[in-house]
Amino acid sequence: MAAADHLEIAGLCKDYEGCRALCNVSLRLEQGDFLALLGPNGAGKSTLLRIIATLVLPDRGSVRVRGADLAEDPERFRRRLGFISHHGLFYDHMSAQENLVFSAALYGVADPPARAEELLRRVGLHHQRHRRAATFSRGMRQRLSIARALVNDPDLLLLDEPFTGLDRQAASLLGEQLLLLKERQRTIIMVTHDMERGLAMASRVGILARGRLVFLEQRQRIDPATFGELYHAATSGGRVS
Amino acid sequence: MRIAWLVIRKDLAAELRSPQAMVSMLFFGFLLLVILNVAVPAGARVAPETGAGILWVAVTFAAVLGLARTFDREKQNRCLEGLLLSPLSPEALFGAKMAVNCIFMGISQVAILPIFFILYGDGFLHAPVMLALVLLLANTGFSATGTLFAAITAGANRNEALLPMLFFPLVMPLIAMAVKVTSMIFAGAGPAEYGSWLQVMAAFALIFTGLGFLFTGRIIRD
Repeated sequence: MAAADHLEIAGLCKDYEGCRALCNVSLRLEQGDFLALLGPNGAGKSTLLRIIATLVLPDRGSVRVRGADLAEDPERFRRRLGFISHHGLFYDHMSAQENLVFSAALYGVADPPARAEELLRRVGLHHQRHRRAATFSRGMRQRLSIARALVNDPDLLLLDEPFTGLDRQAASLLGEQLLLLKERQRTIIMVTHDMERGLAMASRVGILARGRLVFLEQRQRIDPATFGELYHAATSGGRVS
Repeated sequence: MRIAWLVIRKDLAAELRSPQAMVSMLFFGFLLLVILNVAVPAGARVAPETGAGILWVAVTFAAVLGLARTFDREKQNRCLEGLLLSPLSPEALFGAKMAVNCIFMGISQVAILPIFFILYGDGFLHAPVMLALVLLLANTGFSATGTLFAAITAGANRNEALLPMLFFPLVMPLIAMAVKVTSMIFAGAGPAEYGSWLQVMAAFALIFTGLGFLFTGRIIRD
């Protein structure tokens, strides 16, 4: 493993009740890489993210972060992990501020109230910080979800279809935050169906199909004009070179 | 410990703000005491064995209502996933949830006991410290077993129905021992007569606490 490698996934396999979700998936990401992971429904994209996030245990294979096996000290790894999914992962009965202070404290952030304040300003919820999350509109909930994922200033950010269902304002806010994290050399893996957005934001692009990583390439080596055809070939056939 | 305390504080604050678990536990406990009291003829003295049985029916059925809600708030917006994504270890999560359940059961018992003595006579009030010890041991066993099974059933749609079906057969020995020891205390027996029962109750609580710490992580993640 090269010194600059942030994440190394080797021979990952996962079955769900006899149904293969992932089959021998291997990839390496360097610090600051932004991987857009594309693929049809049921390709195993979310399973891969959930294994990296330590939410699901793999049947075989390993995930190493900066050379250390994830299974050995998952709590330490999670300290610098961010995860954005369709679900908010915040408590409806708590206010936006209480949610962020609680999350910041969980991650051992030095000054949780100050961090919560900073993030609430960043996502434009500061004036609503004392309102219970249950009373928030969909857009506001999405912003709170973004703030929650950034509370620990993650080194590795995992995004599971993050733009699905976002209103225009929240999508642009998320896009800005991702670009900011990319500039700060954070490693990002984004699972998406949105090919255009994936190509626009990522530094590397991968395609998962039937549990296998059938394509992985640097973004600058991909021609957006022909990528649609390549995607179709990759998801309907075998590995694409 | 610090992270576990954060979860305990969050759950206690949520219950203070909207006391769903406590209200249902207390209401159900009081209701059982009152209904069973109707069956006792006016002026009749309840035997220690019957009194102990009545007390533990109220305590255990009230407890299971609280246990079923262990991961309720964590189900909204998949907050349990949020906790599992944090540096919180599964052991700390189990410890925190078990502590919260223990506190809720303790509070409900503090409220249920005076009503029990009012309805069934203060003649049972022989050794309050030993009675408190029995309740504490039973609470620890109930909350360890209940938290473990609440984790198992957390993903099920009808976990409030599933939990008692798994929980009661397993804690039946603990309930039986609690009833036995309580009836001896109510009858005025000394600690030497029921000390060995207390040891078995403590062993039960210890074993299930250990099992909870060992298996909750695997159960919740898969």
